[in-house]
Amino acid sequence: MKLQMLLAGEGGQGIQTIAKILSRAAANAGKEVSYIPSFGVEQRGTPSLAFLIIGDEAINYPRFDVADELVVLQQRAISTANKYVSLNTTMIFDSSTINHRSLPKIAKKILGAPVTKYAFEKFTPKSFNIIITGKLSHQLGLDKAIVWEVVAKTLGKKLTNPEIMKATKAAFEFGYDLTFEEENFSEPSYLPETSQIVMKGFGKTAYINPKSCKGCGICIEKCPVKALAFGETLGVYATPVPDIDLEKCIACGNCKRFCPDAAIKVDKDKKA
Amino acid sequence: MDKIMPESWKESTKPHLFCPGCGHGIVMRHLGNVIDEMKISRDVTLGIDIGCSLLSWNLFNVDTIQTHHGRTTPTMVGYKQVKEDRIAIAYMGDGGGYAIGLQSMVHAAYRNNPITVIVVNNENYAMTGGQASPTSPVGMVTPTSPSGKSSEFGTGFHAPEMIAGIANKNAFIARGTVTNPIQMASLIKKAIECQKSGNFAMIEILSMCPTNWKTNAKQSFEMLKEMELLYPQGEFKTGKTEMEQK
Repeated sequence: MKLQMLLAGEGGQGIQTIAKILSRAAANAGKEVSYIPSFGVEQRGTPSLAFLIIGDEAINYPRFDVADELVVLQQRAISTANKYVSLNTTMIFDSSTINHRSLPKIAKKILGAPVTKYAFEKFTPKSFNIIITGKLSHQLGLDKAIVWEVVAKTLGKKLTNPEIMKATKAAFEFGYDLTFEEENFSEPSYLPETSQIVMKGFGKTAYINPKSCKGCGICIEKCPVKALAFGETLGVYATPVPDIDLEKCIACGNCKRFCPDAAIKVDKDKKA
Repeated sequence: MDKIMPESWKESTKPHLFCPGCGHGIVMRHLGNVIDEMKISRDVTLGIDIGCSLLSWNLFNVDTIQTHHGRTTPTMVGYKQVKEDRIAIAYMGDGGGYAIGLQSMVHAAYRNNPITVIVVNNENYAMTGGQASPTSPVGMVTPTSPSGKSSEFGTGFHAPEMIAGIANKNAFIARGTVTNPIQMASLIKKAIECQKSGNFAMIEILSMCPTNWKTNAKQSFEMLKEMELLYPQGEFKTGKTEMEQK
């Protein structure tokens, strides 16, 4: 028996960490494993793939052309992942950030889970990949205790705070027991906003482009009157976009000057 | 739809490929503003190096050349020799500028070749995962210096000061920082004007790398503050004054 799993997402999401944890856990459980990453030169924001093969017999070659299970975690990764789909592929996707209509129709089975929604509502946004790890290890039939041991070892350096460790374990166990949606997928409510936000008031006009905003927080840090704070709208990397308090704003232009992505500016209205 | 980005930026390739919070974006933005202000978007040729700087391959609506690692300066020197009416800007990081490409830059300064060199210094080799570079300060923790960079490997390379020592008297050598964008934009403008007057211009810009420093916006600026104490900003060679140019 051999299972070929492909994880497709975007740089910075934790695709390679998930694949590393799953492959180590499968190896600890006595299986034959191969894992090879594939990504571009950019560190963030471009498609990132992880080829994972788990089986009982020795594996000769780490790449494959057709995936048995294809996990898609980002809308922009679908076009890259499409060529690995066949009639026998089971697709697993994050139904809170991907519209199921955009997935290839030929796949044998499509399973969804609103992971981002759960991460935002029940845990912290960063626990997204831990929930996925839990769900996929269940899907692969790996033992919960073995996988958690690897998670704790891999993320041990980052999770020095015992409270965060506890929350991570809760997220992992929640993911392990999660059930897939098979037909009635939830609405993709965590899609990035694409239109420009224009706010007027107090003699000023603010323009914010969520399409460009990567949520780095430089404008919030550099605002001299603290008129900016993270809001509810989501930007291009599904990170929050700043909200502006025009009453406090003095239209100094610092946010425009420092924004690396040209996503924000505030103009003073011309006097009539 | 109100356009926020500079006119010389290519709109279809945005958001650009740099990480969230990267200093390259701020430098590129002000370079774009200067190109707009001087109305030279049809005359500029941008040469980019290997490293994070190459992610600007499709950022601008100007002619762009991708060169070999550290060879941006000599490529643009050669380009400028055959196309004298173009404005050649060599854009690179501290790895390409001060490690593998240093001899090219030193000789371009020594020969006083009329090009503009912009070096973005973020104290590490960011694209490959944040290894220590010549400009990393002592004590900086990186994948190649897990217990902090030792002073045996240098205490931080001050290249503009060194190049100012051998450059022509009319050259323009300066250092700016992304925390002071107004000064940075004026340095970029002066560096382009210096090239127009037929002299070598080189500016270093202190920048941040949130991905490899593992910092958020606030911590990035705190770290940049320490960096600004180590690397003094200002003009080391001021080029020709306006009186001399006339």
